[in-house]
Amino acid sequence: MIYLSSVLLLIGLLVAVASFLYTLYSLFWNAVKIPEKKIRMKISLPRRIYILIRNVALQGKLFKDLSGGIMHALMFWGFVAFAGYSATFFARGIDPSYELISPGLFKDVIFLTVDIFAIVVIVDVIYAVSRRWILKIPRYQGYNGFEAAFILLLVSVLMVTYYALGVLRMDGASAGIPGAIMEGIPPAFTPVTGFFASLFPAASGSGAVDLYWVLYSIHAIDFLTFLVYIPTSKHLHLVAAPLNVLLSKDTKPAQLTPIDFENQKRFGASDIRDFSWKDYLDFYSCTECGRCTYNCPAFLTGKTLSPRDIIWDLREVVIAQGSKARHSGIEERDKILTPVIGDPISEEDLWSCTTCMACVEQCPVMIDHVEKIVDMRRSLVLNQGKAPKETIETYTNMENYGSPWVNDPSTRGDWAKDLGINILSETQNDDFDILYWVGCVASYDRRNQDIAKSIVSILKKANVKFAILGSEEKCTGDPAKRTGNEYLAQNLATANIETLNRHKVHRVITGCPHCFNSLKNDYKAMGLEMEVIHHTEFINQLVSLGKLDLKSLESDDKEKFTYHDSCYLGRYNKIYEEPRTIIKAVTDNYEEMEMNKSKALCCGAGGGRLWMNETVGTKISHKRMEMADKINATTVVTACPYCMVMLDDARRVMGKEEKMHITDIAEFVASRLN
Amino acid sequence: MPYNIIVLIKVIPDLEQIKPNPTTGEIVTDRTPLRLETLSENAIEAAVQLKEKYGGKVFGLIFGKPESAPMLKKAFAMGVDDGIVITGYKGNNPVYTAEVLCGKIKGMQYDLIIAGNQSADTYTGLLPGIISGKLGINLLGNALTIALEERKIRVKSTLEKKIQNLNATLPAVVSVTQETNQPRLPPVMQIMAAGRKQIVTEAAQPQTMTGTLQISNKAPRSERKRQLYEKPEEGIAAVVRAIKEEIR
Repeated sequence: MIYLSSVLLLIGLLVAVASFLYTLYSLFWNAVKIPEKKIRMKISLPRRIYILIRNVALQGKLFKDLSGGIMHALMFWGFVAFAGYSATFFARGIDPSYELISPGLFKDVIFLTVDIFAIVVIVDVIYAVSRRWILKIPRYQGYNGFEAAFILLLVSVLMVTYYALGVLRMDGASAGIPGAIMEGIPPAFTPVTGFFASLFPAASGSGAVDLYWVLYSIHAIDFLTFLVYIPTSKHLHLVAAPLNVLLSKDTKPAQLTPIDFENQKRFGASDIRDFSWKDYLDFYSCTECGRCTYNCPAFLTGKTLSPRDIIWDLREVVIAQGSKARHSGIEERDKILTPVIGDPISEEDLWSCTTCMACVEQCPVMIDHVEKIVDMRRSLVLNQGKAPKETIETYTNMENYGSPWVNDPSTRGDWAKDLGINILSETQNDDFDILYWVGCVASYDRRNQDIAKSIVSILKKANVKFAILGSEEKCTGDPAKRTGNEYLAQNLATANIETLNRHKVHRVITGCPHCFNSLKNDYKAMGLEMEVIHHTEFINQLVSLGKLDLKSLESDDKEKFTYHDSCYLGRYNKIYEEPRTIIKAVTDNYEEMEMNKSKALCCGAGGGRLWMNETVGTKISHKRMEMADKINATTVVTACPYCMVMLDDARRVMGKEEKMHITDIAEFVASRLN
Repeated sequence: MPYNIIVLIKVIPDLEQIKPNPTTGEIVTDRTPLRLETLSENAIEAAVQLKEKYGGKVFGLIFGKPESAPMLKKAFAMGVDDGIVITGYKGNNPVYTAEVLCGKIKGMQYDLIIAGNQSADTYTGLLPGIISGKLGINLLGNALTIALEERKIRVKSTLEKKIQNLNATLPAVVSVTQETNQPRLPPVMQIMAAGRKQIVTEAAQPQTMTGTLQISNKAPRSERKRQLYEKPEEGIAAVVRAIKEEIR
């Protein structure tokens, strides 16, 4: 027997699914047909499945913001549970004789889960509404309030009608109605519905049946509206985000995709064809939650850069231009695809980024904002020759002197001349076990030379046979690479790799996280295989092996130590514990600043910003020093020369010279050697 | 209308890497890396901007060592269309340099010659004037802006305390300053295209140097007194005394 309700439900479902699939097809076909950037995916399937379970099923990254994370996780798990109800609702609604799940304990347990999670979701919706409109959580303000309200309304109506239909079912109103579900589920397995039923007088008669049909229709239309609305709204993330997580480049921030200058014709990202299909999936996965922006050091100090807006703006350009571009020839495509730099993304915002990866670290759906920003910087630098004036001067210096400053390269190793160590540019003596890569800042900056000398004294104390390159060392290219000058970065890397190979270097220690990251990851991508160790790791190894004996100083009792995480050591290479272990081996007077480890606030120097003026808003380094001041720290320990320059400068400018010291972990250790 | 512009490009030893011979005081430049003079970059930028605005061609002229070829390639990358390295540069002698350059320029079709108003190695600032004299064309010095209209040129020229408007007819020599523009960072496509370009060189004519006589370019001897003051107030007083004596 064919029921009118079944026919209507089937038509509704077909229309909604068709609309849902067509919108998805259009979006995902954009991602297939338009992008020209090629990427390499190197992660194994088991690793991918682990990431999927951790970050989708268990909602792992969401808990970095605990209250928001709990809210979302409950909503997500509630929806997963509710999927069983919805599938049964439509299956039986269309064919009342069909049993999607065979009656029995399994089915009862599924509906018990649904019954419990539905009320959890309702409470969660109330909490979500209060977060956005009563508590006014800043990161939500000004972003798609209508869309959020509409979705929350749909969700709450879905849950309320579920309970209302359940109450009527318990009253017997649905008995004999074709397509009615959950008939025969024991009341003990629907305790919440049972509780609501106990609050109302039993409904009966034709009025109850009519009410059942009204609620049934509302429930069905609500669900179908949701289905149609999902791919056109930020709730596209329901579909895109799990895929994005599965296909992510890993939880560790990925290295920048190198450019093949011989074979590529387009450099960097000028318009939407210059991104990869994975970037498109990133755009579709964004739900404008704002965690990225509210952890961005530039945004937090009053700059206009908002990683969320960068992703969302690019998504809007893809949606606006995608369909037309897909259906056009190459020449027409050039006219349709307008540059994204200038409008909607400002050059100023692109240059404000410190590439600190706080946004990437925080993003629950594993969007990589930083690579896109660097890709757009590449477009400016490599195609148009555009960069801040100071950055262009930095490039000139790197070309002429192999360092970002105007320094005679023949004097690079002068700081070490009286230390009696093997300077390879002078000795050409390759009899060493490990190369100490000094880096530009420690080679030329007076304050940072003290750190280099401390590293030397530690290596000597531990009887390590080491050498430095002296004038044969050049900048690794990190400031060029992160500001988009991949051409210069590759030239410097090629020269350094040639030098390292010539001296048969297999092991390197460095005190600079930027050099560390370049040598360990960027150079590896260029084919250089060697062990690269940061001095925090190396010192920690020496201490744990008993090769360094550290003592407490009398002054340690009067001090309060804190540690400032370098982005390129922490978020880029996951080295958080080693420096803390070293400090805590000596003193108990240690306290964390707010925003530490993976949430650490950048010093403001990364991404080439050390060589740019910071003229808008508060200086990032000042904000960091305020955090140190808040816990009354007397010594901030760092493990990065960039951080040292920034924080030491902030300390002076803010008049905290007497109150607070900045010291490198190497100095901290060297002064406490027995 | 399109213009043919000649830009004079000076290649100098990198001043940051120059070292005097510690015993003789002679400046050693043999192994000092070469670089494009900063003001020549401004001159190239000015020439390329005019080409972009009005059309035409920019020809780069280097009088220097054969090792100057990479600098001409950099000029190509910045937008210079063609160029030549004239070899045989024997050191600072603006009269001789002008003679060699004018010898080359006289055989060329040109509307405008652009050069830096001086160079960081010698700071004579004489070359644009001597070239203007030798070629018998107008000199518009220290240009901040350059505008062309038919056969006329208008320049805002910076003097020490004021800016004056200069008008002349073409052909003319224009010298530029560091304030004239911000030299561009060449796009990578142009860097690679420039890398593939052949560099033409020819020997300087005449080959005998005339004009000026260099008496000495020895680094002045500076003896450090190596006085150490432990107390800041004593040190500051000593510095003030030394400055006063120097002024007197």
